[in-house]
Amino acid sequence: MSSQTLPRKPSIWETLTSEKNFKWTLLIPLLLLLAIFMLYPLLYSFYFSFHDWGMQGAPTFSGLNNLRQLVNDRGFLLAFGRTLEVLVICIAVEVLLGLALAMMWNREFPGQNIVRGLALLPLLVAPLILSLLWNFMMDFDFGMFNQILQAVGLKKVYWWTPKMALYTICAITIWQWLPFSVFVLLAGLKGLPKDVFEAAKVDGARGWYTFRRLTLPMLTPLIMIIIVLRSMWLIRLFDPLFGTTRGGVNTELLDWITYRTAFVMFDIGYGSAMAIVSWAFTMILCMLMFRQLMKALKPKE
Amino acid sequence: MRKGIAILVSVLCLIALAATTATAQAKFGLNDIPTIKNKKALNLIIETGENHTKAIPAIQEFTKKTGVQVNVERVASSGVYGKENVELMAGTGFYDLVYVETAWTTEWSDYLYPLMDLAKKYDPKKEAGLKADLAFMSPSILVCGQAYGQQMVLPFYTFDMVMWIRQDVYDDPTEKANYKAKYGAELKAPTTLDELHKQAAFFTRKKGGKLKGKPLAHDLYGLSMQAGAYQTNDETSARLWGMGSDWVTVVRDSSGKIKEFVITKANKQALKDAITEYKMDLQWDSPGALTANFDFVVAQMGNGNAIICPTIWANCTTWANGILQEKVPGGKIGMYPTVGGHPYTGAWSYGVSKKTKNPEAAYWLVRWIASYDCAKIVFNDVGLPPGRIDVLEDPEIHTPAKYYPLGMVADYHINIWKATAKDVGNYWYFNTKAGGKVYDMQIYAVSKALTGEQTIDQVVAEITRQTLDLTTKFDKKYKIREEK
Repeated sequence: MSSQTLPRKPSIWETLTSEKNFKWTLLIPLLLLLAIFMLYPLLYSFYFSFHDWGMQGAPTFSGLNNLRQLVNDRGFLLAFGRTLEVLVICIAVEVLLGLALAMMWNREFPGQNIVRGLALLPLLVAPLILSLLWNFMMDFDFGMFNQILQAVGLKKVYWWTPKMALYTICAITIWQWLPFSVFVLLAGLKGLPKDVFEAAKVDGARGWYTFRRLTLPMLTPLIMIIIVLRSMWLIRLFDPLFGTTRGGVNTELLDWITYRTAFVMFDIGYGSAMAIVSWAFTMILCMLMFRQLMKALKPKE
Repeated sequence: MRKGIAILVSVLCLIALAATTATAQAKFGLNDIPTIKNKKALNLIIETGENHTKAIPAIQEFTKKTGVQVNVERVASSGVYGKENVELMAGTGFYDLVYVETAWTTEWSDYLYPLMDLAKKYDPKKEAGLKADLAFMSPSILVCGQAYGQQMVLPFYTFDMVMWIRQDVYDDPTEKANYKAKYGAELKAPTTLDELHKQAAFFTRKKGGKLKGKPLAHDLYGLSMQAGAYQTNDETSARLWGMGSDWVTVVRDSSGKIKEFVITKANKQALKDAITEYKMDLQWDSPGALTANFDFVVAQMGNGNAIICPTIWANCTTWANGILQEKVPGGKIGMYPTVGGHPYTGAWSYGVSKKTKNPEAAYWLVRWIASYDCAKIVFNDVGLPPGRIDVLEDPEIHTPAKYYPLGMVADYHINIWKATAKDVGNYWYFNTKAGGKVYDMQIYAVSKALTGEQTIDQVVAEITRQTLDLTTKFDKKYKIREEK
């Protein structure tokens, strides 16, 4: 009689560390963190968006009431519109100005390390501290900017008029995040293949033509990355408002109205509905941009 | 005969001494705190700001006496509600002493111990011990700290609003003569809106113009207000109450019990008038007012940039005066009731959380903070007016040398409390559980009218809608409706 040994069932450890599964195993810690800090709050918010709850007593199911209310909430719609406006302005300025500065700094020049080091400073300051500092500097009566203007014989400017305040907020956030665009694009410029440009030069290509046909297409993936990341951050713009207008003078944005509804008025249900709409908008926008990014990354024939 | 008179005089002296001693003993102090066995540390909030920092050593005297550590967290006043509300709702008990703005007392009453219950449990003199001390406090401020007839909190410092004027300017013969020539009336602190507007216009001048006969080195504003998305609602309350109205009418039955809340047509019209008047005042204010908080108003007055602050908190007076003395030699602030004579009132107070791990120590710390000795330090050293009338009546601050500004601040409070005592208990804020939520909603709603983001009619409608919505959601005790 011959004896046959059955294949031993692999242990859990062996399964997890097998060649087939190891790459997924390494993802487990990240997935756990995402599940706890992103997925759970998201599902929690989703749940509460269909309820009325003020943190007292049990939540009451209210169906689509909160979403219906949102559609008719003038304050919310205005905040949404302003957020889109901030998005377009900030991204346009940061990309264009960032590209211009990166092109200028893409060469050897005296003091380049100092200039580049100083340019990084805004990114190192906590956004809330920055907004408090700007608030002081831009104060109409006591602020540094108006004192300088008066000293040179010019009129004081009110940086926080209802018409201008949103653009002042844009200026503060652009000032802080422009270095991000500059350095990403500068790194991109430094990494461009020199032989392609030399060949183009030999063929007689110059200046604007080279930029349009070579530089820009090769930088497109990086530009798309900047746009995707900045869009996500700008939809959540909060700190510049907290230290300055606190959502007043026509500057209330999506994140601020959500924060105020959920964490100041503690209308958790309605605030959750706002948060879900904000999340959905971010997801759709980023998915569209990601598609463009993937197209840009595809090697051209 | 002589012997009899001598005996009578001695007896009378003994009686007087006993009475004095009894009065002195009735004032609670650190020595009245019995040994506290539970040494678990207490957490509480104190607002940010240099002035409030000076109050911390007084609070630490409690630790020296009892051995119970007091951990102080510094939070800006605009952030206190959000921070504490989360902890209260979640029942964490993180804050043993809860820092309460008057409008939140009823809302948070379910999360706080009634102080009489704690007195019954921990005070050797039981409720009588607490009552004896309350007798020295402002009745109207105490009412603000009650919910459904129970004392929930005791005042740390009060925030009655006041109207500041530059008294030195008002007393200046040149300004007096010019005003009389222009308006045919004496220049004195305004008591009507018409007077306020005339004086605001009169004192709004460009750089190069004159004040007290001297050329101005900067623009001068007739008014300074905190019209940013901070406490525009307090300034609106002062206007509403000054008109004899309120945000919402508290309807009572014949026995005085609350029946319901009604947003009447009169309330809505008064709110419209109040916001309209507020917005009109902005023409005589710095453009910076639209993003301003109270520190801006203090800076405006202190730097001599403004002449009248129609609605500002009286507890900022010593602060503003400190700056004024430095920046404007001869400058002096005068304190007067806001137009209508019913300024926003209340106190930042402390109550004891029901989730505290050391209720006994928390009770005694609340008592200490509201005590004569502590309140005296907080007033004299920090400049924050307490809720205690005995501290404000202290003869020492009524001497000519010390009258300005402490005596002036004290007298203002004593007088305004007398004038408004009968109305305070019926203000809607102090009778609803939705006070805190509605309070924050009002801030943003009113500021939208001031910046022109929405029309005043839109804002009144929005405030009405949200007040109904929030009160229905968060105050299950009383119904609220709108009079159509």
